[in-house]
Amino acid sequence: MTDQEIIEHWQDQDAPLLPVLHAIHDRDDYLSDDAIRVVSKGLRIPLAELFATVTFYHHFSRSKPGKSAPRVCTGNVCCLNGGKEILESLKSEDATPMPCSGRCDDMVPVLRGDQVFVGATAETLEHRPSPLPAPNPGNIDECIFRHIRAPKRHTLPGYQATGGYGGLKSAVASTPAALIDLITESKLAGRGGAGFPTGVKWKAVADAPGDPKSIVCNADEGEPGCFKDRAIMEHDPHALIEGMVLAAYATGSQRGFIYLRYEYPEIQGILQTAIDEANTANILGDNILGKDGFNFHLRIIRGAGAYICGEEGSLLNSMEGKHPFPRNRPPFPVTHGFEDLPTVVNNVETLASASQISRKGAEWYRRLGLDDHAGTKVISLSGDIQRPGNYEVPFGLPLQTLLNDWAGGPLEGRTIQAVTMAGLSGGFLAGDDLQVTLDEPCIRSNGSFLGAGGIIVLDDRRDMVSAAHEAMSFFAHESCGKCFPCRIGTQRLTERLNDGANLEFAAWQDEINDIGSVMKATSACGLGMAAPLVTESLLRYFPDAIEQHLSHPK
Amino acid sequence: MNQIADNTRICTMTLDGDDVKFCEGETIYEVAERHSKEVPTLCYDPRLEAFGACRLCVVEVEGIRNPVASCTTKATEGMIVRTKNDTLDKHRTTLLEMVASENRNNTVDELAGYASQELGNLLKRYPVLPGRFAGKKSGNSNTDDLNPFILRDYDNCISCYRCVRVCAEQEGDHAINVMNRGFDTQITTEFGNDLRDSSCTFCGQCVATCPTGALTDKKAIRAKDTPGEVKKTRSVCIYCGVGCSIDILTKGDRVVGIQPAMDGPANEGALCVKGQYAFDFVHHPDRLTKPLIRQKDGTFREAEWDEALQKAAEGFLKVREKHGNHATYGIASGRAPHEAAYSMQKFIRAGYGTNYIDNCSRA
Repeated sequence: MTDQEIIEHWQDQDAPLLPVLHAIHDRDDYLSDDAIRVVSKGLRIPLAELFATVTFYHHFSRSKPGKSAPRVCTGNVCCLNGGKEILESLKSEDATPMPCSGRCDDMVPVLRGDQVFVGATAETLEHRPSPLPAPNPGNIDECIFRHIRAPKRHTLPGYQATGGYGGLKSAVASTPAALIDLITESKLAGRGGAGFPTGVKWKAVADAPGDPKSIVCNADEGEPGCFKDRAIMEHDPHALIEGMVLAAYATGSQRGFIYLRYEYPEIQGILQTAIDEANTANILGDNILGKDGFNFHLRIIRGAGAYICGEEGSLLNSMEGKHPFPRNRPPFPVTHGFEDLPTVVNNVETLASASQISRKGAEWYRRLGLDDHAGTKVISLSGDIQRPGNYEVPFGLPLQTLLNDWAGGPLEGRTIQAVTMAGLSGGFLAGDDLQVTLDEPCIRSNGSFLGAGGIIVLDDRRDMVSAAHEAMSFFAHESCGKCFPCRIGTQRLTERLNDGANLEFAAWQDEINDIGSVMKATSACGLGMAAPLVTESLLRYFPDAIEQHLSHPK
Repeated sequence: MNQIADNTRICTMTLDGDDVKFCEGETIYEVAERHSKEVPTLCYDPRLEAFGACRLCVVEVEGIRNPVASCTTKATEGMIVRTKNDTLDKHRTTLLEMVASENRNNTVDELAGYASQELGNLLKRYPVLPGRFAGKKSGNSNTDDLNPFILRDYDNCISCYRCVRVCAEQEGDHAINVMNRGFDTQITTEFGNDLRDSSCTFCGQCVATCPTGALTDKKAIRAKDTPGEVKKTRSVCIYCGVGCSIDILTKGDRVVGIQPAMDGPANEGALCVKGQYAFDFVHHPDRLTKPLIRQKDGTFREAEWDEALQKAAEGFLKVREKHGNHATYGIASGRAPHEAAYSMQKFIRAGYGTNYIDNCSRA
């Protein structure tokens, strides 16, 4: 297709910029200056603004070899497992590094064009589907992974074989308000990490004035050490689609978007096939399941490599073709979301949970949690552990049970020194705090948070200051650059974890604490608020390692 | 304060212990500013949409765990706000120390631009420890951008994006934007070209709003080492009929620069390239200082005023006698002072009784 044909194809659709840029990037292998000029004119975006926005995304190349050159994951887990060596071996092919690309249970991922290859060395790279979650080791009743291991699960017949879309059918037979009540009673809350009650969010959008409303699925799973949404979308795509259609019915939304991270190219194909099946079966489209006036159209928007686009304001700006800075809040997306209209932004896991809840009921879901906790959470477990992978745990499960009983414990002859929480955003837990239970109240009382549920295990071989440095480098790389505390703070913390900035321990600690406290108190979004948990927890658990580091800097 | 529309709801909030009134829709910062709270800012320009980047303006709101950016947060009925206490001062000091640490030079000449002293003044106002948070410097100076007006010294850029926003929101030029992300952000034109190859109109608005002198008025800064104080004289731009208010900067008896007047009723701080930069003629060596009379062979000779005026009057009279009042058309110079332009139209209108009078820059 010519530039003009691409632009004409997309320009009257919602959220045209990223699809147009991808179409050209796919065709030419890079985005030339001329192409950017044509898009600027065609989509009426000022040239300087478009140019600047293109430079924001990690995966848009502006020269050849671009898209076709290998991108090697040097994320926090992969760099402990050969990522940097593979990058070095592929230098002759113009390989470049990429941050964690969500394959920490099956390393090391290398992106070539639109295919993910994995292997321990450059020679053994192969293209294969991502791992299915292992059968639940605790024999607990699952929600998300309940049927994910069934054969042909990713197809419509496979999904329907275990009652898939049955929840939607019964919901549509009743009122949207009844569905919202059901979700509210289930106590389902945002599984992307923020934990906002899903029923309350849906009701806010249902009640908000303005049309058309939108359901946006946040599938920009960028948190290092998190790969749960990948598993759900790759192996159980219809669970996500059903959840989105349910949300659309509850809120009266007509437009749906799955904002999928760039690093999951195969999943785009899997989701698109599932969407096509659902359209054919009248589960998507107009007058869904024969319900007059229930119209919902679902599209995939592919991201282009920016962790911050997992922040909902940035995600919405990115969809709208704007510079992906977070938005000032309030107003919130429930009233001013996509195109300033009421919008649900939900994580993949949240929406997939809603599908099961619509079938099995609120009380069933609530009771899946231990003690007073409602429901389950998928934990992506990776790093120095016998059996890394995705585990669906009941809220309230002791961390030690997951690590030792479910995942086989540390590697032979090793002990667990620390784990990260919320991917990297929750910093470290170590020492006695490894006795936590997996639920927000408990983990927050230990100065961290569960967030999206990524846990990276670090055993006694690992240099904790280096691990903290890797983590902070990631946040510095991904800071959008809008608010001062995060833009400067992540940089300064990275430097201090690298060479110590020639500081004595007391002065080092003083600077770290001041930067950390200003970042936590004044940053404009969660990235800047969470990043200092890394240094804070390092100081709490490993002051000796820091003193050692400062006396022998790299 | 602007006049309040009849249907605006008046609300009350508590500001540092005092009950104060505000109009629904105002931000906390606007209310605090009206009550002289001197909340510090770096990314704020009252003409622009609030952005919330520098976070210096954070205030405490009862019931909200973290401090909120007062520039982007609307005041609400019954809100209890504290604009200053030890915690907030500590955050502001740390933030300023962080900003100071990324810059190579935090002291700039006031001729750099209207807002160029903002960062320097804040660094003096808070107990900032020099040298704290030392590390990599941000920005990538682009001082070889060969335009005659705007020096782009991004070594001093603090990424407040006021220049980007003023260019888009006030001027509608969209000539510059933010490239890359995080600590590597950089103000750029499309493809990193020079300003003259971009859609920049050299209005100088970016220079006027820059709080650090990273964007510097190239013409004004030439007089940096000229002895004497900078004096500002309020005037009205001579070039066209809009009537933009300006401050003429002088050192001694020389005009050294022009700054837009933020409180100018017609322009609210806006200027165009001519009003901002075209003042070299004032002290130009080619400028006529004595009247010249054209001789029969077409060359000019210097004359005294009495003779020149006599000669001109004869000429004008001759035209009127021969062709009538409406045969003369006066065009005042855009470089003439307002008083001269006024005299000119008086001369044409009252002297000739015709309305054939215009100004060269009305186009």
